[in-house]
Amino acid sequence: MISSVRLKPLTWHPHIAPVELSEATPEQLEAMKVTPSAKKVSEYVRTLAHDPESYVARTVLFNAIMYVDGGLDKPARELGALGASIVNGCKYCAVVHARRHAELTKSDDVVTALYFERPEELGPRDAAIYNFARRLSAAPSEATQEDIAALRSVGMDDAEIIDLIHAISIFGWANRLMHVLGHAESK
Amino acid sequence: MDRFNSIAAQGNRVVTDVLDDMDRLVGLTPEDALFKARRFRPEFVDGTEICRASVLHPANDQGLGADLRLALGLRMAQLNAHKTLAADYRAQLLALEPTPQIIALADGATDLEEPLATIARHVDLITLEPIKATAGDIARLAAAGFSNPQIVALSELIAFVNFQVRVATGLSLMRSA
Repeated sequence: MISSVRLKPLTWHPHIAPVELSEATPEQLEAMKVTPSAKKVSEYVRTLAHDPESYVARTVLFNAIMYVDGGLDKPARELGALGASIVNGCKYCAVVHARRHAELTKSDDVVTALYFERPEELGPRDAAIYNFARRLSAAPSEATQEDIAALRSVGMDDAEIIDLIHAISIFGWANRLMHVLGHAESK
Repeated sequence: MDRFNSIAAQGNRVVTDVLDDMDRLVGLTPEDALFKARRFRPEFVDGTEICRASVLHPANDQGLGADLRLALGLRMAQLNAHKTLAADYRAQLLALEPTPQIIALADGATDLEEPLATIARHVDLITLEPIKATAGDIARLAAAGFSNPQIVALSELIAFVNFQVRVATGLSLMRSA
């Protein structure tokens, strides 16, 4: 029996200078949804606000994929996000979504198994989700029809699998922002 | 169908039967069960199209033209070994009558004029091995003359294409499994 892992949150700092609120254009302020009196907007948001149109479009899609009601349960989406973040090497995202998975499931078991690289300790449904997340995240993709068959065999329907594909894929996006444009540090 | 009802309850959203870019990539028609299943999530269908426009044809292109953006899309589709997506980007790119340098960039050349060589190196690294990215890679872009808005716009484009190729790959596997 291995002791359970409790991951501490990291802070993220950009490699480029973020937009200063005092110098932001009206479009950037609208994208950040801040008023001129706002004191604090995260460095992450201010970095991506350099290109406000893509920031707004992606944020709306990201929130739908991760938080829209119904369909695939939220822990499964977080597990897909975590698998992608591990493959893509985004330590910041991996810690955020490992913590969220543990909060949602009220258990550190899955996170502990992955942290100690013991995926064989996952239950069959989590294993099917995690394996698919890893294989779809490889470039080029290594996912196969057997991965889809494995998801169906643990009871997932097409709507849930579509949700999972989007959760994994949006981290193919988010990881390539967070890990490329900045770095994570312990608080 | 509870799911249909919940979407209807959100109101005002028209779930379109028009084929979009993703349907074409996966080879879906409105008669396919998977075409209909995609429409359970109109916010994903619409959101992906809005994101695609925001990185390929933004209102403010930050000085990174549509030919450059489509060429990088083609380069990344080929790095991901996705033939249908590559053909889609190639058709869009050729419609703009690109220069030989842009075509070479699209087709994977590395012996390019600057700043295209620096872009190509970065796009290849972040597409294939994002885990290896460091602060030095962003410094190289800045040294090649790219502004912060251009670095962010380029990053969003790279990241979007890598999202797009995975959604298309996953849906295609569902269709054939």
